[in-house]
Amino acid sequence: MHVIPQSWPHLHILVSVFPSVGLVFVLGFYVTALLTSNDVMKRSCLVLFVILGLLAVPTYLSGDRSMDLLSRDPKVSQDLMDYHFGWGLAALAVLVATGVVALIELCRHRRAGQLSNDALHLVLGLALITLVLMIVVGELGWQINHHELGLARTPRGTPQAWSHVHMILNHFPTVGFVLALGLYVVALVMRDTVMTRSCLVLFVICGILGVPTYVTGNASMWALTDPPIPGIAKAVINAHRDMALLMLFGLAFTGVAAWIELWRFRHLGRFSNRSLYLVLAFAIITLGVMAETGHRGGQIAHPEIRVATDILPTDPKAGWSAAIELLINNVIWFVPWQTLHFFGFSLVFGTALAVSLRVLGFWKSLSFSAVHRLLPLGVFGVVMNVFSGMLILQADSFRYLNEITFVPKIAFFTIGAIAVLYFSLSERLWAVKAGEDAPMSAKWVAAVVLLSWAGVITGGRLLPYV
Amino acid sequence: MEYANTAIVLMVIAVVAFGLGLAFAGLYCLNKAVDQNRST
Repeated sequence: MHVIPQSWPHLHILVSVFPSVGLVFVLGFYVTALLTSNDVMKRSCLVLFVILGLLAVPTYLSGDRSMDLLSRDPKVSQDLMDYHFGWGLAALAVLVATGVVALIELCRHRRAGQLSNDALHLVLGLALITLVLMIVVGELGWQINHHELGLARTPRGTPQAWSHVHMILNHFPTVGFVLALGLYVVALVMRDTVMTRSCLVLFVICGILGVPTYVTGNASMWALTDPPIPGIAKAVINAHRDMALLMLFGLAFTGVAAWIELWRFRHLGRFSNRSLYLVLAFAIITLGVMAETGHRGGQIAHPEIRVATDILPTDPKAGWSAAIELLINNVIWFVPWQTLHFFGFSLVFGTALAVSLRVLGFWKSLSFSAVHRLLPLGVFGVVMNVFSGMLILQADSFRYLNEITFVPKIAFFTIGAIAVLYFSLSERLWAVKAGEDAPMSAKWVAAVVLLSWAGVITGGRLLPYV
Repeated sequence: MEYANTAIVLMVIAVVAFGLGLAFAGLYCLNKAVDQNRST
């Protein structure tokens, strides 16, 4: 299969996610830079806004050329394409304006030696307007080619809402990861601590988002293949699913390595070069797997990006995912992984409980830094559960994914895992000594962490009964 | 049947001991590394 685009629609699919989803992450970094008054990060983000502004050109050109091609397809609505084009033009115009203001500010900075707050806030405002417009454009864009999203749910079928959610969600850990890696290299070269920490945080968030992305991908598979939809082959989905499993593990390794470095930094106040380069190595390998996963995913419902030399898989039973499904249905494999899954929850909840109770005001004889030492145990519990959970899911994914408590379980997992990051990032919480009370904001986060993990366990336990 | 049950119990013990062993060893190593780095 080819990964380099050889047609306008292929280029449009690839490039158009950066000015939309990529903008979310650049905005996240930009707001962090403004809050921490970090000049290196502010300038890096301004450069990214300029790059996104430049990407408006290939996005527009590839979109315009794709319209010519797609208008020959009777299934594609011309009205929908016109709406997408009109809104897209408005969004790209504001994006170009954002890039121009960012470029002017960068040039001004070279002369004046400092950044203007007014200009920085103008860039922020324009980027936010672009983001709102991009949400509309993206939604209209997906509807053009993905007719399956409009299909009604069959009596025993999986709702197409899963396909829709997966289509949106899968761009976050991927585009976010690409930006995190780019900025991480800049941070390593510039030796900027705030930027390095921000990139490590984004690697962790991408790792966490990998779980709901993989799970919604499994659900989409059932929505698209049971009952079958003409033009969508399970063998092609399975090829994508195999790579997605590797990508999930790549994201997990990168995310855990990044989290450990954040944890270490909290205690020592400095980074270990060896660990930072280990994160970089994991990230580069994961990026390669990610490119192939994304490409295989695009092949599922985009016949217009296929070329004559593409040989698509035809055997729906081939691949690792199908083999794991068979293997894990054997009780001798299922029971041990399920037991490990329960122990994993014990580790996660036990650690979250100990740390959260200290933050909430119990065990004041201990400083926060003392209980913070326990946190890796909870993170290892999460890793155990991601690994065992994905195996257990394969045993009967159709049933699990159609259970009503599975959605809150995964939503709580995402919230609970991201919220735990606060414990390694908050300066005020880190300064809490023995006998002192934690700040109120930390108490709210601790409550969210406890409730989320209780929700994950409850959602999982109710799966066989509701 | 009895053989199968024994095999499952052994598998459970092996997988859980491996998983928990790695988690606690990881916690120990990380904390030890922090202590050593502090003292140098």
